[in-house]
Parts: sequence; structure tokens; C-alpha cells
Amino acid sequence: MKTLLKLQFQIYLFCLIITFAFLSEGCRVTLVPDYDDSIAEEILETAKRVDMFYLDMLETTVNENGDRAYNKMVDSYVEIEVELASLLSKNKIRPLNENSIRICEITLELWVKYKGEHKEDNELSDGLIKLNRLTFSDLFYAMLVAEKAKEIISNPPK
Amino acid sequence: MKFDINEVIAEMVAAVKGVVGENWNEVLSVTNHFFQMKKERLELLAELRIADDITQKRFESRLKDEKLIAEAEFHAIAVVSKAIAQKAANAAIEVLENAVKTAIDLAK
Repeated sequence: MKTLLKLQFQIYLFCLIITFAFLSEGCRVTLVPDYDDSIAEEILETAKRVDMFYLDMLETTVNENGDRAYNKMVDSYVEIEVELASLLSKNKIRPLNENSIRICEITLELWVKYKGEHKEDNELSDGLIKLNRLTFSDLFYAMLVAEKAKEIISNPPK
Repeated sequence: MKFDINEVIAEMVAAVKGVVGENWNEVLSVTNHFFQMKKERLELLAELRIADDITQKRFESRLKDEKLIAEAEFHAIAVVSKAIAQKAANAAIEVLENAVKTAIDLAK
């Protein structure tokens, strides 16, 4: 399966190369934008913020005495939502960046959804905190992979 | 020196193979990491439903979210693949450009 995938990928690449080689006349192929260190930093910061939000809630509060009521968490929810919207905006203004844009949109969509669930239930179980934490950890990893991959273009051959 | 298209194509293919080979492990390692994280999440989700910690409606809603998460993961893998393709394509074009330039210089 892996060999087949690799072969398909190489055929795709070869066709792409031949097409571009004869049409480009000295131009370079550009499929993704350049790596942006400030965006990678912002992804890491926002991921840390989200992780801290859920860990803090898990370790320092309990559902039973109303510590996890939505209104006690609303400020953090809004601040993180603003940071996610900022990441989305910064990605949107970069050309050829549709994949990273979609990852940001999905992350923001789920953040707003889980905020809404918390508001509706006015509580959050330990299990759901753990699940949400894993979900966002995965989404931020995807976001970071997508940004860091852009470094491949500028890395010199080994 | 004659411009030998077969030799140039062979060098272009070698350039592509070099770039893809260097970065192929990156695609595999990212994919494996995604599967590992998905496994952890689905295990926890199943545990929460079995323990009746979440309702059936919420369970189904979270399963739907898994589709969105998978979409995000595929987008990340797509960027890695595109970056590899870009680097490989440019390496091959450079081979062709250099071969043509050398042939022109020699013909002068």
C-alpha cells in the first residue's frame, strides 16, 4: 500500500514536473506559501493557552459546587476565540493557503460548538474536558504540521 | 557537448526521487501520529458513553466532529505533500535549466 502510494505520488510529481518544466520558462513552481515563523509561534501560544484552560479547569475545579459554571469560564472562552479568529485572518491573507485556512476554520468551529455545549449544560464533566483537550491538541498539531511543512521548500537538500 | 534529453530526464527523475525520498518519512510520521491521537480520542469517547458520562446524542455529535478532525488532518498531510512536490518540481526544473544553459554556452 505504502509502495503504491509512493509510486502514485512519484508519477503525479513527474507529470507535474514535465508540464511545468516546458511551460514555466525559468519560473518556479509554487504550490504553498512561504513558511511564516510568527504564525508558527502564534499557533504554539494559542495551543498552550487552550491546554492551560482545560488543565486548569480539570485540576482546580469540580462540577458539584458550580465551579465550572459557564459564566466563570466565559472570559477565557472569548479570549481564546479571538486568538483563533486572529489565526484564521492571518492565514486568509496568504495566497495558496487554502489547506491551513480550512484547518483554522474547523478549529474555530469546534471551539464555538464546545463553548455552546458548556453554556447549554452549564457544567463540564472531567471526561469531556479530557476529550476536548485531546481534540484541540490534535487540531493544533495539524495546524503546526501544515505551517512547518512550508519549511521543507527552503530546506537545503540533505 | 550534445544536449541529451534522455540523460536530462534521467537526472530530473533522480532529483525528484532525492527530494521525495528525503521527505517521505515526514508524511508517514505525521500520518502515524494522527492515527495514534485518533485512537486515544475514540477510546475515551467510547469509555464516556459506556460509563453514561455523555448522552447518546452528544456521543453521535462527537462522532460527527471526528469527520471534521479527519478533514483537518488530511489538509495538514496535503500541505506536506504539496511542499514536497514543489521542492521536487523546482529541483527538476533546475536540472533542465542548467542542462539547457550548458548546451547554449558550449554552442557559442
